[in-house]
Amino acid sequence: MTTEGTPVIEGLFSETADGPRLVGSRCTTCTTPYFPKSSLCHNPECTESKIEDASFGPLGTLWSSSIQNYPPPPPARYDEPYEPYALGVVDLADGLRVVGRMAVEDPASVQVGDRVELVLGPIYHEEDGTEAISWMFRPI
Amino acid sequence: MRDVAVLGVGMHPWGKFPERSVTELCREAVVAALDDAGVSWSQIEAVTAASSRFSGGKGWGLNGNDIVEDMGSTGIPVYNMSAGCAAGGNAFNVGHTMVAGGAYDMVLVVGGEKMPKGFIQTSGVEEETDPEFLRQRCVGMPGPAFWALLCRQRMAEFGTTEEQLAKVAVKAHQIGTHNEYARFRKEFTLEQVLESNMVSDPLRLYEICPVSDGAAAAIICSADKARQIAAANPVWVAGSAVATARFDDGLPRGLAGVVPTGRTHHSEAAIAVEKALAQAGATPGDLDFVELQDNTVYYELAFPEDWGLCGPGEAEHLLESGETMPTGKMPINPSGGFLCFGEATTAMGVFQVCELTWQLRGDAGPRQVPDAKLGLAQTLGLGGNGTAVVLKR
Ligand SMILES: [Zn+2]
Repeated sequence: MTTEGTPVIEGLFSETADGPRLVGSRCTTCTTPYFPKSSLCHNPECTESKIEDASFGPLGTLWSSSIQNYPPPPPARYDEPYEPYALGVVDLADGLRVVGRMAVEDPASVQVGDRVELVLGPIYHEEDGTEAISWMFRPI
Repeated sequence: MRDVAVLGVGMHPWGKFPERSVTELCREAVVAALDDAGVSWSQIEAVTAASSRFSGGKGWGLNGNDIVEDMGSTGIPVYNMSAGCAAGGNAFNVGHTMVAGGAYDMVLVVGGEKMPKGFIQTSGVEEETDPEFLRQRCVGMPGPAFWALLCRQRMAEFGTTEEQLAKVAVKAHQIGTHNEYARFRKEFTLEQVLESNMVSDPLRLYEICPVSDGAAAAIICSADKARQIAAANPVWVAGSAVATARFDDGLPRGLAGVVPTGRTHHSEAAIAVEKALAQAGATPGDLDFVELQDNTVYYELAFPEDWGLCGPGEAEHLLESGETMPTGKMPINPSGGFLCFGEATTAMGVFQVCELTWQLRGDAGPRQVPDAKLGLAQTLGLGGNGTAVVLKR
């Protein structure tokens, strides 16, 4: 799915043998997850910041969703003609609440509480036609 | 800490004023506030001003300096406060703190704004280290999407209907027709709201506030000063607080946060309100009315519950039984709120102080909250900034 495109921003996700994962970090003292990576723990109750690389996903639950009915202002990008898309906030099983676009044909089909999985896919095309790839969530 | 009075307030009407500069808008508000307070410009000892990203301020948010130059450079200190859309509330808090602490006896608090057309970019930074930039570029999720996501979650949790959302807007515009400073002074039927375009599903065009131009000013002073001024008709600051969002807040501001254990969204607003009420020695139930930041109808349902004015899931019932109208048990936004004014972002915190003052004096005419003695105002802004002020008669 991603072989043709390039990431919108490098270093935020990866393709592993087990499927796509978000690339972040976690504090081993207080278990706080960070996405994107953080070099320090920001939890005010944490006694000692100890940050390790961590990856997140693929399974979670949709905490809420909406539809982006109008073309978003910059720095967002989109293909013309504009097609509304669904947005989600997903609670991943590993304790991260993360925003993402929903990988669905019909934006109105998304329901709060849906079980979802992390996928990668194009969210717009660069001027040379290259797919700009980002993380997304697909109901399962 | 000394008692602090709100001695006078003034506003320029809200709307779109392409022919007028933000300085002209501010001057009208400041002159009205001085006149209302019965003091002259030369009596002002310091200015706390909301810093704007969109208008005036020499591109550096020096909006208070623009006003001092325009009104007459008397050499007084200027404090330009930046807190996103909470800047007006923040400027009030800083002014209050300085008068209460004895640094100055008489301070002008002011916020003025001319907004660009259309939907604004939340952040002005286009860097890969900026979480707002990442969210908008990688997901395509602008500011209003937050309101929609919060609203959809409420609908799933409490069964809030589209009709109930629309009723908040209908109620706001019923009140707004009575406010001469409001931009939109026309009633809408439930059908008109429900037929307006879906902007950020589940929120429709008439259920979110557009951006506006406007300016508001307040003169605050020590109790001794207030007593010296013969024509004074002061109201009093019972509490004033600012706060920032907590780490365990359930609303991810960038790409992600921690799955929270409790139900806390916009902790910056809840903390500020709690602190201001504590300073006032008041409970939520003591409040006679509230001016809250209704960028969208969602907030008018969620915030009273978040702050303990009513129980979780009760707000829809209070709305539908008329209790959030000025004559109800829990009046919310008797000014008409952001829905009727539109958001002149950094001026809103000072606009709310004007409305609180008029209500507490009993000068609010057809939108008057009967026998209003204690009122709360709240703003929030980018960066997780929240402000609250409690005024009393
Ligand atoms: Zn930690």
